Amino acid sequence: MIPGELGEAMEVRLLLWCKTEGQRLGTGDALLEFETDKALVLVAASQPAVLRRCFFREGEWMKPGDMVAWLSDEPGEPLPGEAGARAEDLLVDFHVT
Amino acid sequence: MPKVFFREALTRAIAEEMTREPRLFLLGQDIAEHGGSYAETRGLLERFGSARVRNTPVAEAMTIGFAAGAAAAGLRAMAFITYLDFLLLGLDALVNYAAKLHFKSGGQLSAPIVVKATAGAKGQGPTHAQAIESWLMNVPGLTVLAPSNAGDAYGLLKSALRSPGPVVFIDHKRLFPLGGFVPDQEELIPIGTAAVTRTGRDLTLVAHSYMSVVALQAATQLSAAGIEAEVIDLRSLWPIDWGTLSASAQHTGHLLVVEEGQVVCGVGAELAFGLRERIPKLRIGRLGARRLPVAASPVLEAYTIPGVQAIVHAAHGLLGERGWSGDL
Repeated sequence: MIPGELGEAMEVRLLLWCKTEGQRLGTGDALLEFETDKALVLVAASQPAVLRRCFFREGEWMKPGDMVAWLSDEPGEPLPGEAGARAEDLLVDFHVT
Repeated sequence: MPKVFFREALTRAIAEEMTREPRLFLLGQDIAEHGGSYAETRGLLERFGSARVRNTPVAEAMTIGFAAGAAAAGLRAMAFITYLDFLLLGLDALVNYAAKLHFKSGGQLSAPIVVKATAGAKGQGPTHAQAIESWLMNVPGLTVLAPSNAGDAYGLLKSALRSPGPVVFIDHKRLFPLGGFVPDQEELIPIGTAAVTRTGRDLTLVAHSYMSVVALQAATQLSAAGIEAEVIDLRSLWPIDWGTLSASAQHTGHLLVVEEGQVVCGVGAELAFGLRERIPKLRIGRLGARRLPVAASPVLEAYTIPGVQAIVHAAHGLLGERGWSGDL
């Protein structure tokens, strides 16, 4: 999710997905880059994960609170809405530079 | 229609006009390699070169004096003043020289300059956050523009850069984080035209710059309470689009003017009286900042400047639906 703490930046533009759906991320791997009115922000994984679903395309605009992507620990893990999905999904932290 | 950041609308307008007009050059603090205080001149140095994109020292009087002198000598200049508060240092060159040159020279000379300055409160405190654009409306010979979105900023800045006389182009710190739509093709917005951004029958709500964004939010709330506000975004503080304002005020019979600056001798004071002269039975409310310097504290800043609730409250009061003292 785009963090609400971005505060002043009311809208941001997705510039680049560094991974495609199905690809694995190691700790520290870049996931995506977005742009605020003032800065370019690179979002990197803080733990290993698999990128499962991207909800925005490059060039699209996002707001704080928007769900950007789903990640899972394993590639075959059921996603929300699928049979066997976990009752609760966790938000994980990312490194932002 | 592409969606862009506010700064990108400015960059596009400037780049198009610099391409069209080789005599146009830019000057201001950090506008060259750094790309401007708001990144609004990013890429222009590389594109147009250091003779046309010039850094200046922290010396606003010199910046505007230099721009006005160069313009009087045949160039066109756009000067960047980081905060509107700092324009005070350059007022002599702007008011006493640039604005009067055409009149003093019997029309032989003019100073085609655009001074861009950023107004408004966003945590910067008493001397970096003022909305003092109404002061400029008092100067004969000066055009004053204050758009509220990327599309209008693009079209108005292009008109300003072609204008024969000095123009002050005022944007707002809270507009920069917003995305907005600009036309696919080159398009100009004529100076002196307000925009009706929402139609309504019950009252006319007039604002400019970021307060136009707040006014639209207030209109949405009022609508939920059964009050339909017509919202007019001034865009041009001078000249004033009396035609659009009068038509709306005549239609609704109620006028509420809202601004981020002071009520005393404010933008709204001029609008209110000018419209009362045209429509004697018009009921009028004025809303602006409390008579205080803008505080750096976000809590005190919000206390000082009208927000959505203050507008909603004032609208109810104006329509006689609640006791309203007129003093918020």
